[in-house]
Amino acid sequence: MKRLLLPLTLLLFLVLEGTAMDFLPKEWLLANYYIIPHWVLVVLTYIAIFYDFDSTYYCVLYGIIFGLLIDLIYTDMLGVYMFTYGLVIYITHGFKKMLHSNVFVTLLLTIVAIVLADAIIYVLYSFIQATEMVWETYTLMSLLPTLAANVLFAVLLYPLLPGKLQEWSESQLKRSNAI
Amino acid sequence: MPSFFRNKRLILILISIILLVALIGFTMRDRDNLTWPEEFLQDTIGGVQTVFHTPVQFVTGMYDNIKDIRQTYEQNQMLKARVSEFKDLLIDVKELKKDNEELRKLLDKQENMSDYEEIPATVIARSPEPRWFKQLTINKGKRHGVKANMAVITGDGLVGKIQSTSAVTSKVQLLSGFDRSNVIHGVILGGEDGKDQYGLIEAPDDKQKDSLLLKKIPYEAKIEKGQTVVSSGMGGVFPKGLLIGKIEKVVIDEYGLTQTAYVEPAADLYDINHVSVVDRASYSPSLDEPPSTEEEEDSE
Repeated sequence: MKRLLLPLTLLLFLVLEGTAMDFLPKEWLLANYYIIPHWVLVVLTYIAIFYDFDSTYYCVLYGIIFGLLIDLIYTDMLGVYMFTYGLVIYITHGFKKMLHSNVFVTLLLTIVAIVLADAIIYVLYSFIQATEMVWETYTLMSLLPTLAANVLFAVLLYPLLPGKLQEWSESQLKRSNAI
Repeated sequence: MPSFFRNKRLILILISIILLVALIGFTMRDRDNLTWPEEFLQDTIGGVQTVFHTPVQFVTGMYDNIKDIRQTYEQNQMLKARVSEFKDLLIDVKELKKDNEELRKLLDKQENMSDYEEIPATVIARSPEPRWFKQLTINKGKRHGVKANMAVITGDGLVGKIQSTSAVTSKVQLLSGFDRSNVIHGVILGGEDGKDQYGLIEAPDDKQKDSLLLKKIPYEAKIEKGQTVVSSGMGGVFPKGLLIGKIEKVVIDEYGLTQTAYVEPAADLYDINHVSVVDRASYSPSLDEPPSTEEEEDSE
């Protein structure tokens, strides 16, 4: 039962992403700022940092599963988020091995993950779709606001999630140490 | 990390890229039907979304509510003035309707392209990827009679069309997210000369702008700012007379053969909570038969 808590948390944020547009004032949307909630990614980064050991890759597995779910529910293109989240979380997991985890490292890794993921998604979508946004517009109108909003979300989440994740990690990953 | 790209990892990444390309290729085709795992997942998560959407809506709506309450007095005054105007209009409309019905009976022509049935629905989620996918999820699906390609309206006008359906949820493609493979046949209601002009509605090439393009209007047509654009019903799916928007400006297209008008959508494409799915009453070739690959109408 306790093992289900982690996927359920992720599912909660996945569903909340669909309502995220309601939180933003309408004037921002009309001003063509694109703020994309990467809440699942933020939670996944926390999982990579606080839940997983160096030898376990639960974060990557969850990244692939929930990336696919985002593809399914919110876009019509399967595979883009799945690939991106999987890859980005794998890289984050690699960085985490090298760095000691504290507040600043966590924040840094979250920023790296969001920027990487958003940029990869942008590149993949502009390959696929005929219409495209130019680099400068993308960086100014989409990447920076997205980064700011998601970092804010990550900071808000910091007092809540890491403690719980470490607790779950200790109770769940002690016995089975590999995936 | 001595060797980041050890052989095993390289192969793993290559395999996942191949998988990515295969999946994208599979889903990029214009599909009207989803595979059953997709349907199942969408319906399951649709249920969870419904549970969460109502309280979130309540909280986020609070701000708007407060704003509304503060403006109530002014609005009330204005509306009172308008109501008396509407009373006259109502009588006119009633008479015209009666006339129309009687004349139709005389002609023995029962079916009308502008008749339709509405299926009311509630928005349960909005795609968090607004750069490319301007889409909503609504809480009505195949079981309620919703089919792909049906028009979706709010009280203000057309907002989009049904993109895909599963048993109890459907995805709506917003007008601003239309591409070249799904366009609407629209009509500009007559201006000074009283002549209607027809054209094809497309989403702007630059998806950051929200005004729609009305293309392929004859070169000679005289169109003015502020004229009303409605659906023509000629595309075979949408009923006639759904309000789309107003003309913003008109330019000559890149080849100099036809005109292109910029249309400002009548409905608010951002603040959508309740919509109606429109099932047109007269026969529609692409809804009443197995769906073809053509969408609403081909632009070429």
